[in-house]
Amino acid sequence: MSPLLRVLALWRGHLGWLLLGFVTTLAALVAGLGMMTLSGAALATAVAGALVAPMLLRGFGAARVILRYFERLWTHEATFRALASLRVWFFRGLSRSSAGGLGFRRAGDVLARLVSDVEALDGLYVGILLPLACAVLLLPALVVLIGLRDPGLAAAIGVLFAIAAFVLPWIAMRVTRGAGQRLASTAAALRVAALDALTGLREVRAFGAEGRMLAAVQAREGALLSAQREVSARMALAGAAAFLCAQLAILAVLIAAGFAPVAAVAAAFLVLAAFEAIGGLPRAGAMAGHAVVAARRVLEAAEAPAAVPEPAPPAAMPAGSGLRFEAVHFRWRADRPEVFDGLTLDIPQGSRVAILGPSGAGKSTLAALALKLAAPQQGCVKLGGVDIATLATAELRARIGWLSQATHLFDDTIRANLRLARPDADDAALWAALEAAHIGEVVRALPDGLDTWVGEGGARFSGGQGRRLALARTLLSDAEVLILDEPCAGLDADTERAFLTTLNEVAEGRTVLLIMHRLTGVERLDRIWRISAGHAVAAAA
Amino acid sequence: MLLMNLLGTALAIGQAYCAAEALYRAFQGRAAWELLAGFAILALARAGLSVLAERAAFAAGAAARRRLRTDALTRLLHAGPSLLRGSHSGELTVTAIDRVEALDGLFARWLPAASLAVAGPVLVALAALWADPFGAFVLAATGLMVPIAMALAGLGAAAASRRQFLAMARLQARFLDRVRGIATIVVHGRAEDEARALGSAADELRRRTMRVLRVAFLSSVALDFAAAVALVGLAIHYGLALRAGTLSNPTTALFVLLLVPEFFAPLRGFSAAYQDRLRAHGAAEALLALPPIPDQAPARPIRTVEAQGVAVAFEDVRLTWDPVRGRALDGISFRVPAGETLVLAGPSGAGKSSIIEILLGFVAPDQGRVTLNGADISELVPQALSRLTGWIGQRPVLFAGSIRDNIRFARPEATDAEVEEAARAARVDRFSDALPDGLDTAVGEGGYGLSGGQAQRIAIARAFLKNAPLLLLDEPTAHLDPATEAEVLESLRRLAIGRTVILASHAAAAHAFGGRRLDIAAGRVVAARGAA
Repeated sequence: MSPLLRVLALWRGHLGWLLLGFVTTLAALVAGLGMMTLSGAALATAVAGALVAPMLLRGFGAARVILRYFERLWTHEATFRALASLRVWFFRGLSRSSAGGLGFRRAGDVLARLVSDVEALDGLYVGILLPLACAVLLLPALVVLIGLRDPGLAAAIGVLFAIAAFVLPWIAMRVTRGAGQRLASTAAALRVAALDALTGLREVRAFGAEGRMLAAVQAREGALLSAQREVSARMALAGAAAFLCAQLAILAVLIAAGFAPVAAVAAAFLVLAAFEAIGGLPRAGAMAGHAVVAARRVLEAAEAPAAVPEPAPPAAMPAGSGLRFEAVHFRWRADRPEVFDGLTLDIPQGSRVAILGPSGAGKSTLAALALKLAAPQQGCVKLGGVDIATLATAELRARIGWLSQATHLFDDTIRANLRLARPDADDAALWAALEAAHIGEVVRALPDGLDTWVGEGGARFSGGQGRRLALARTLLSDAEVLILDEPCAGLDADTERAFLTTLNEVAEGRTVLLIMHRLTGVERLDRIWRISAGHAVAAAA
Repeated sequence: MLLMNLLGTALAIGQAYCAAEALYRAFQGRAAWELLAGFAILALARAGLSVLAERAAFAAGAAARRRLRTDALTRLLHAGPSLLRGSHSGELTVTAIDRVEALDGLFARWLPAASLAVAGPVLVALAALWADPFGAFVLAATGLMVPIAMALAGLGAAAASRRQFLAMARLQARFLDRVRGIATIVVHGRAEDEARALGSAADELRRRTMRVLRVAFLSSVALDFAAAVALVGLAIHYGLALRAGTLSNPTTALFVLLLVPEFFAPLRGFSAAYQDRLRAHGAAEALLALPPIPDQAPARPIRTVEAQGVAVAFEDVRLTWDPVRGRALDGISFRVPAGETLVLAGPSGAGKSSIIEILLGFVAPDQGRVTLNGADISELVPQALSRLTGWIGQRPVLFAGSIRDNIRFARPEATDAEVEEAARAARVDRFSDALPDGLDTAVGEGGYGLSGGQAQRIAIARAFLKNAPLLLLDEPTAHLDPATEAEVLESLRRLAIGRTVILASHAAAAHAFGGRRLDIAAGRVVAARGAA
């Protein structure tokens, strides 16, 4: 089934509203056509000495105005309902699929692109579906109405209408779908060039490369603009072709006017209005081209199988919470080198273990494997002696508190951000977690305290403060295993030592896995592992 | 572009006349071939014109975007690294890329539509005036009704449309926020709760927005109402006049009636393009908030000869990043003769990085003097300063491209042999030989992921290639494990030979370098060895 139809199928629940919107749109269209046609007819019959139906004409006019109001209102209502359910569906699907783990690998921009794909589907109903459905019904009506008087003219107009309403939009759709690839790749290249220049602002200044970087961005921009220009020029041609179809239809009416002048005037106005109603379809076709591509990506992301399949039925959760990696072989993608080739690592229950190693050695991958965000190609990970592949994912994750390097702070209050880890936590528990993460003082000084809004991605706080808020969230959870991935990133040296000292107390009794690139010396550790070349090597305790 | 659009309207008027006259002749049974031909020619001209107008609209949008993007990037590049203290490079990229794209509609659609919204109807009304004053009067009266009725229906379509737009934008921002953080939500097992919350937020938004729209759409009714009144009113008026015989020429009636849709078309285009204006509004605000480009004082070129090296001196330098956190540098003075090494030691936050960033020109001191060979650093243009300095920071940024490109970044005119020489000197070849394409392996965004130590070696190769007399090292081994650190320090020692070096580092690395040493804490010098 085509991706667009699949998306439409998601909107089944709103069929009533979608149909109401469609019926009103159609009625408003009929009223508009009636108003135009009768206006023409009024003149034509008056020339012949009679005046038909001025009341009917007024009626159509009034109906047109009123129906247009309800058309706008109800199609908006239907659109809002449809887009809400599309988002909820997408979110649920993404949370189940492997794509949901993307956030773990700092692929925030990939997710952002998916969100803009979802947005591209918002116009599907009003912009594409409604005008197309109206055109489908309008075509036979037009042919029959004109055909009653002049079958030849009706055939000509029918063909022109079909070209403008269906053939040209179809061509526009094909064109944009083909050009979509080039548009996407040039846009991505431009983004990378700008991101390079701005992420590397220090390098750029230190090497005096401002002019070079600007030129690189401008060159990529030139490529994008030329791709856009090509699409825009083709769209303009499609629009002009649709316009010429309308003009040809009117010309046909004028040529045929000699045979039945009164009917011809009415027909001229009817044709004028009918073609105007479908004038936007070539553009809608171009939109559909984008929408098809967007719909495919959205469906792929939301319906991708989970990276780690759910066991059926899951085994009972073990009592213990020691973690053990057994001869684990893992690579993120088939074309990438192995991160681990036979890693074995034992983290006994209640112990505090540090994992050290250079960046890129796979320290963070350990957390992904323990949380079932990814599964080893060989070997297994055990919790309390039970292979986690046989455990229910939700229950496993409830056991493990995780602070990742990409932990997200939501654009919400501090309270809401913390309670993500434990929805029933009271204020006292929240404050305790904030104190443990050495951010209590900062939050206490804020006028709104726990109700302070943290901003997009924690933007209202400095990097170090945001990191500590995320840490407080992890400490708040009552998980028995804590995996802290570079918990001190963004903390100054004094705060780092103070925090690590506190951590020795707050995490009493829990299994703690500290992932760091170097030790400060204040950590109370039972064991230190160093990861290098895909293996874990025991270091001094 | 306005002229092109007006010409289009004029052609439409001509077509209306041809069609009206041709229809009238049909009543009389006369042939009207020349009118039909005229109609067809005008139609072709209009089609051609619409293609040209659309091209012009695209060109206007493209030119505006190119200008705005260059302006935004120039401002960002000019403001330099200090920007990264306050904002994430991802956000800055959104400003330079997406926000500028969002302004396209303003230049390509809104501005042409807005200019035609008045001129187009006036032209049509004038044509109607020529044919029949009463018809022109009806058009003008109903046309004027549109803005008046819009103003009467609450604060008009504008305010309501803006509110709807803002509400949608807020929902989209929330959705984006939750999707970006989906891994965090999933790991906490809260996906179902969040999905429900998203659904109810969207429902709530729908209810509130629909309440606003029920009133807001009343103002859109004004346009439909005016168009219907004009059409129906004129049709009945002319019908009665024709039957009563007071109007002798039906062409006039047909002509004016055919003009009605043309009269209202620019007004419809205007309301349709309003969304583009709203979309542009937020984007324009973000662009205006970018730092301005300061007027540059004409700087004297530095009087140094590179062979003699660079001597550095700080005289009572003070610097404050953020008034809340107090001074980062509080009266720092020291002196490093050409060719010597100075180690800056002290805890993180003591001010080591600030000293390096002043020397790099990332930030200017609030008080005091910094001199290179006696010349005040504030009098150097950034290009002159960057020619003198080589720099290696904590985490080098690798650009999208090959390793070779990344090394050549230091000196674009360098030959392949020089790049390979630098790669060897920095021991880049030790790991690049094992990569699929050697030095031509793609790294950076979308490329091969290098480890921190490997990236640092590329940064050292850059410094070798640049061969600048002053070398600034800002905790170059802070994020490396001890084994890698030792290797990198060995390369750095070779790089340091014959240059003035200022190294900010923790104690272990400092021992490896020896030389002069300055201990600083809380922005003050606490101990100096050979550096005062």
